Amino acid sequence: MIYLSMTLSKILRYIFLAVFNALIVYSIPLTLAYESWFFLSLIVVVGLLVNFVYFTEKFQPMKWILPGMIFMLSFVVFPAVYNTYVSFTNWSTGHILTKTQAINVLEDRVYTPEDQKGIEFEIYILQDSNLNFYYVAYLDVQNILFGKAVTNDEIFSTSLATHEPSLFNNGEFVPPDGFNLLTGKEQVANSSSLQELSLVIDKNTRAQLYKISVFGASTGRLSSTSQLYTYDDVNDSLVNNATNTICPVVKDNFECEGTEIEPGWRVFVGGENYRKLFSSQRIRGPLNVVAKWTFQFALLSVLLSFAVGLFLSMILNKDGLKFQRIYRAIFILPYAIPAFVSALVWKGLLNPDYGLINTWLGPIYDLIDMEPVKWLTTKESARTAVLLVNTWLGFPYMFLITTGALQSIPRELIEAAKVDGANGLQSFWRITFPLLMVSISPLLIGSFAYNFNNFTLIFLLSGGGPPIVGSDVSVGWTDILISFTYKLAISGGRGNLFGLASSVTIIIFALVLIISAISFRYTKRLERVYGNI
Amino acid sequence: MATSKVLNWAKEYGWRHLIALIFTTFAVYPILFVATNSVADFANLTNSKLIPDGFTLKHYKLLSNDPLVPYYKWLFNTYKVAIIAGFFNVFLGTLAAYAFSRLKFKGRRASLLTLVIVQMFPSFLAFVAIYLLFFQISDVAPFMGLGTHIGLILVYLGGSIGFNSWLIKGFMDTISPSLDEAAKVDGATDFQIFRRIIAPLSRPILVVIFVITFIGIYSDFILASIFLKDKNLWTVAVGINTVFVDDFNADWGVIAASSVIAATPIAVLFIFFQKQITGGLTAGSVKG
Repeated sequence: MIYLSMTLSKILRYIFLAVFNALIVYSIPLTLAYESWFFLSLIVVVGLLVNFVYFTEKFQPMKWILPGMIFMLSFVVFPAVYNTYVSFTNWSTGHILTKTQAINVLEDRVYTPEDQKGIEFEIYILQDSNLNFYYVAYLDVQNILFGKAVTNDEIFSTSLATHEPSLFNNGEFVPPDGFNLLTGKEQVANSSSLQELSLVIDKNTRAQLYKISVFGASTGRLSSTSQLYTYDDVNDSLVNNATNTICPVVKDNFECEGTEIEPGWRVFVGGENYRKLFSSQRIRGPLNVVAKWTFQFALLSVLLSFAVGLFLSMILNKDGLKFQRIYRAIFILPYAIPAFVSALVWKGLLNPDYGLINTWLGPIYDLIDMEPVKWLTTKESARTAVLLVNTWLGFPYMFLITTGALQSIPRELIEAAKVDGANGLQSFWRITFPLLMVSISPLLIGSFAYNFNNFTLIFLLSGGGPPIVGSDVSVGWTDILISFTYKLAISGGRGNLFGLASSVTIIIFALVLIISAISFRYTKRLERVYGNI
Repeated sequence: MATSKVLNWAKEYGWRHLIALIFTTFAVYPILFVATNSVADFANLTNSKLIPDGFTLKHYKLLSNDPLVPYYKWLFNTYKVAIIAGFFNVFLGTLAAYAFSRLKFKGRRASLLTLVIVQMFPSFLAFVAIYLLFFQISDVAPFMGLGTHIGLILVYLGGSIGFNSWLIKGFMDTISPSLDEAAKVDGATDFQIFRRIIAPLSRPILVVIFVITFIGIYSDFILASIFLKDKNLWTVAVGINTVFVDDFNADWGVIAASSVIAATPIAVLFIFFQKQITGGLTAGSVKG
């Protein structure tokens, strides 16, 4: 048996190492090809470390810790550091690439010099079932070229036109199967998109539609293309070959006669994102609203769900009360449902026109002669709804922990207070509640920290909406910091502002740090943790 | 006599039942409403009610037939990702926990403390950096870049491994060291002690940690939504919250059905492990 488990440990270890080293070997040439020196060094360091730890007998404990540590370092610690770096860059739509990549993209751009008239020939335009355009260029009897017509952006990724003499039968054009020959009228109708397209004949030559003829074949024209931009690495500038102008680098773009050339590239910009957050009026305003609401939301969520949870556990904490276990089982149900489901369902229930909530409130609206509330569409109704739903989601947890804490309070204390003449309310506020808070308060802080970043609820229930009008960035009245960040970076509809979003993330990090510090200090948790290890 | 008994009952217990019933309604009504609506005939949101007029399974059937809503594919993806990530998470966490609990080495306290501090910050906070990191990994190793399950699993793996090894370590500390000392005297290696003594005795906590991790990954929206762009690779959380956005009225029956399928297993797991989960969340993080 001992022999067996020894081999098992070895087998496991060698399988792991083999897979690991295979991955390393696979990825090194790739990082070289993409010139990502950062990943290369990371992979080499991790690779060496792993092989060193597992092939030598030193660092025994590392053999146990390293696998988990690698994942934690790569996907938790490293992103946090990387996030800090990103917050000091201009990384955003239009500045996604590195400078080398941006120059490569720009050097692929082409233009057609004005003096290249080229020869003219008959051209036939076809369309396949996916509505892509294909050109057939009849240069002469020997040269009949066929291929997909592409825009300038696709020129370098498309294949060259092929010789297809079989498309003509006795000088008559016969469209191939699956293609539809465009009539002159259809060509006129599509002329704006056809103007953008060309058939790539060889690296520098293209065939384009020149004149549309409604009767008979249209005319095409050959044109040669030239590289539009050349990068001059001595002067670190771009030369526009069409206009013969020099486009110098201005911060993170090349600029030709005052206009920025897209794409730019990402650069280190120092504290610019932070400056923008705190000084740009149209960002600072919304950020203020969002930050304030984040605190309000987290605090009110904790207070409301705590109040409901405590109230219920007090009521059920009574000897001889029947159905206690049934009530307890029922009260935890909302907590057992995944929040992404609850948010979706509540969005339906809150629907102003068809939802259950307004149907229920209908008689009340009639009674006090009030317009039905348009849930989630105004600032107040959205904030109320978000808090209502979060109370529904959160009170079971509070109910559970307060029930546990109440049961651990010695009964003699309460009875002694009663003997001394305290009434129910007095003994609650003077004895039960303070004792309760001792064990519950760290959990309340934890709940506050959780709701502080409760992205799922906010994003899925209200989407952060309704939007705050007049702001530079996409943001709404119920957005909390983390959902605001998400909109900046991913889904705001105003491009991906990764740099700016990262700087908001840093603010969240700082706030979470403060909250945790308070919690540690308040509960002396760190000391207890330290004493425990 | 009888009336005063009733009055007494009302004063002692009755009002408690009344309030408990009100909150029972508050807690359960939305859940029951969705459950019954998922099998209700003609359920659009306008004329939905708690007790439906007719029974039908058409909403559930619709979920399996609609090519625009590949619901069961999403469900499969979710289970796949959550089970794989949960398993490796617990496995690697257990290995680390063993070293922290049983091996004496320099820097042990410091690393444990680092774990606590790192885990104060939810891992999704740095989602922008995670997104950009995998955006670049996509260039170098597309099989684990953005839009892949492997990449998402890697992120989930890193996300809670520290917290989990911390909890497992706390449990392993309660296993009497005399057991493994005896084994050591008999010449057992660390791996044998781990595999034959510590790991089997830790099984209860490992099951609980797996369940907690599984539920956490199953319920994640933010990371899955930035990672997965292809509809066929979505998880349930991303899928149902992306598809059902416009027409709640007409889609209500299908929304209800998909909610029931997505929520039931998690709710059952949760209720079954409720004591350990809330216990682990509260005692574990404090006590270690």
